[in-house]
Amino acid sequence: MEDAALAGAGAPPGRAGGFTDWLPGAAELRRSTAETFLECFLAWGYGLVATPLLEPLETIARGVGEAGQQGLFRFMDADGALVALVGERTVSVARVVATQLREADRPLRLAYAGPVLRNQALLGGRRRETQQAGCELIGSAGLGADAECVALAAAALRGVGLTAVQIDVGHADFLPGLLESAGLATPDRTAVLDALRRRNLVAVEAALEGTAAGAAERDLLLRFPGLRGGHDLLDAAAAGLRAERPRRVLSELSRFWDLLMAHGLDGIVHLDLGAVRDWDYYTGPIFELFSGDLGFPLGGGGRYDGLLGHFGPPEPATGFVLQVDRCVDALRRGATVAAPAAGRRLRVAHAPGREADAIRVAATLRSGSGGDAVVVCDLEACPAPPPGAAAYVSADGTQLRCEEGRWIAAAAGPPPGMAPDTLRR
Amino acid sequence: MSLRIAVPGGVLLDGACALLTRAGVAQVRPESFASQLLVEDGRNHLIKVRPTDVPVYVELGAADVGIAGKDVLWESSRVVYEVLDLGFGGCRLVLAAPEGSGLAGGEWPASLRVATRYPRAARRFFDRIKVTAELIKLHGSVELAPLTGLADAVLDITATGNTLRANHLVEVAEAERSTARLVVNQASLKTRATAVEALAAALRRAVQGEAVASR
Repeated sequence: MEDAALAGAGAPPGRAGGFTDWLPGAAELRRSTAETFLECFLAWGYGLVATPLLEPLETIARGVGEAGQQGLFRFMDADGALVALVGERTVSVARVVATQLREADRPLRLAYAGPVLRNQALLGGRRRETQQAGCELIGSAGLGADAECVALAAAALRGVGLTAVQIDVGHADFLPGLLESAGLATPDRTAVLDALRRRNLVAVEAALEGTAAGAAERDLLLRFPGLRGGHDLLDAAAAGLRAERPRRVLSELSRFWDLLMAHGLDGIVHLDLGAVRDWDYYTGPIFELFSGDLGFPLGGGGRYDGLLGHFGPPEPATGFVLQVDRCVDALRRGATVAAPAAGRRLRVAHAPGREADAIRVAATLRSGSGGDAVVVCDLEACPAPPPGAAAYVSADGTQLRCEEGRWIAAAAGPPPGMAPDTLRR
Repeated sequence: MSLRIAVPGGVLLDGACALLTRAGVAQVRPESFASQLLVEDGRNHLIKVRPTDVPVYVELGAADVGIAGKDVLWESSRVVYEVLDLGFGGCRLVLAAPEGSGLAGGEWPASLRVATRYPRAARRFFDRIKVTAELIKLHGSVELAPLTGLADAVLDITATGNTLRANHLVEVAEAERSTARLVVNQASLKTRATAVEALAAALRRAVQGEAVASR
C-alpha cells in the first residue's frame, strides 16, 4: 500500500508519445466536424459503414502490398493471428465491398469516419492517431464519379466553415506516361519517379541529365512544379507532345475540368500536372485539398481501379479522405470560422435533503428544452438559492425558478406537456 | 504574396544571405540577425533558425520555404520538397581512419566501428558498399572517437580537410556530397505557387550567374 502511494506521488502519469488528449471545446469541435462531414456525405446518398479498428495483416498486404504495412502498429492477437491497427480505411471498405456487398447494386456509395493509427517516428507536430472521414464510390468508371468526389469533399469542408480551400487536381498517369513517351529506359524512369515520390526535384533534374528524354517531355518535367494552372494549361502542355498516352490524359483532364465547373468549383480548382501521389495505387484523376496557412493538405483522393481486383472481381473505384484533425487545426487557427452558438446553460440547485426533487426538476427541464439547453444538476446541497442557478428546490419542497434575477415559485403542478405522474413521488 | 523564409544559422548563414541579396529576394546580411531572429524585408519574413531545425519549420508550415544543407536533409524525416541546388556551402561526407591504421592503408577489417553524426547517411553508405559497420551516433567532436578508442573510424563532413589532418585522420572513401538546398512546404508549393516559383526562379538565376562568373 505504502509503496503504491509513493509511486503515485512521483511524476505525473505518462501519455504515449504522438497521441493527443482532446479537451472540452477542442474535442467537441473535433466531434462536430466529423459529424458534419458525415451528414454531408449521407445527404449526397452515401451509406455509412463502420469497419474494425484492426485488420489481419494479410488483408492489408493483399490490398496495398508489403509497403502498405510499413509504419503500422502490428501485433499478434490471442489466437496467434498477425493483425494491424488500420492506418487508413479504404482497404477495409474495399474488403467489405468485395465480400458482404458483392451483390449490392452499383454504383455503390459508401462513407465512413473513424480513427486511424500510424506507428511513425516521434516527431513534434505529427500525430500517430488521427481521425479520418471519407467516401468511396464503387462501380463507376466515368469521370462523373471522380467529379462527384471532388465536389463532395469541397462541400463537406464548406459545411464546417472551411471556405478558403484550394483543390489541386492532377492525374496519376500523367508523369509516368510522360516518362514512357520521353523514351527513357526503365531504370532512368524508375529513378525519376522515385525522386518525384521523394519530392526531390534536384534529383529529378539530375536523373534526367544525360538521358534520352525528348525536348518537349524534358521541358515539361523540368518545369515541375510549375505545371499548375487553369484549363489553358492543358493546351500549353499538349503542344509538342506527340505520344498518345500523355495526350489521352490531357484530354481526359479537359473533360474532367468541365464537370468540375458544372459542380460550381470555379476559382477553387487548379490543375496540377506535377501532382506527386502514390502511382502504384492511383490510376486516374487525383486531387488534394489545401487551406490557407496550414502546412499540410486537409485531405485528398483519387481513382484506384486496381485495388478491388486484389479482393475479388476487378471493379472501378474512386474516393477521398478528409483529415478531420487537420481540419480542426485549420478551424482553430483561422478566424474564418463562426464560433458555435453557446447554448443556454441551466443549473438546478437544491436544499439539503431535496436532491431527488432536483433530479426530477432537471429531467423535466431537459425534456422540455428539446436539447437546446445544457442542464446541470448540483451534486451538493445549498442552504439558499445560489446566484446563477436557474432552479432551486427549497427545504419545504417548493420549486423556485430564477427569472431575470428574481426567485419566484414555480407554478404548481407539472410543467406544460408533462404527464401528471412524472412528478409524483 | 509574401513568403516566410527560414535561414540557417551557422556555416551556411553568410552564403544564404549573400545569395538572397544577389537574387534580389531580400536585402539581408548576417548582422541583420544579430539583435533579432525574425527580420521583415518589405515583401518577405526571414527567420534565422538552427540549421537542423530548417526542415522542421518548413514541414510544419511555420516557414513556406527554407535553406537547408543537404547533410541536414539526409538525417531528417521531415516531408519537404527539395526544389533547387543552391550550389554554395559545399562539403563532403567522408570515411576517415587514423594515420597508419589498416583501414587507412586500404585494408577493410571484417567488422568496423564507426562514429558519426550522420547515422542515416552512414547506414546508406555502408549498405551500398556492402560493409558491416557498427555505428555510434555522436553529437559532435567525432574526430576524437578514434583517438580515444571509441571507434575505428569516423564518417563525417569535411569542407577543407583541415580538421581531419589536425587529428591525424586520413580519408578512406567519400560517401556523399552536400550543398545548400531550397526546400519548400508541400502546401505552400500549391497555395503560394506564384510567389514560390518566382523565388525559385530568382535564386536559380543567381546560382547560374555565379556558376558562369566563377568559370
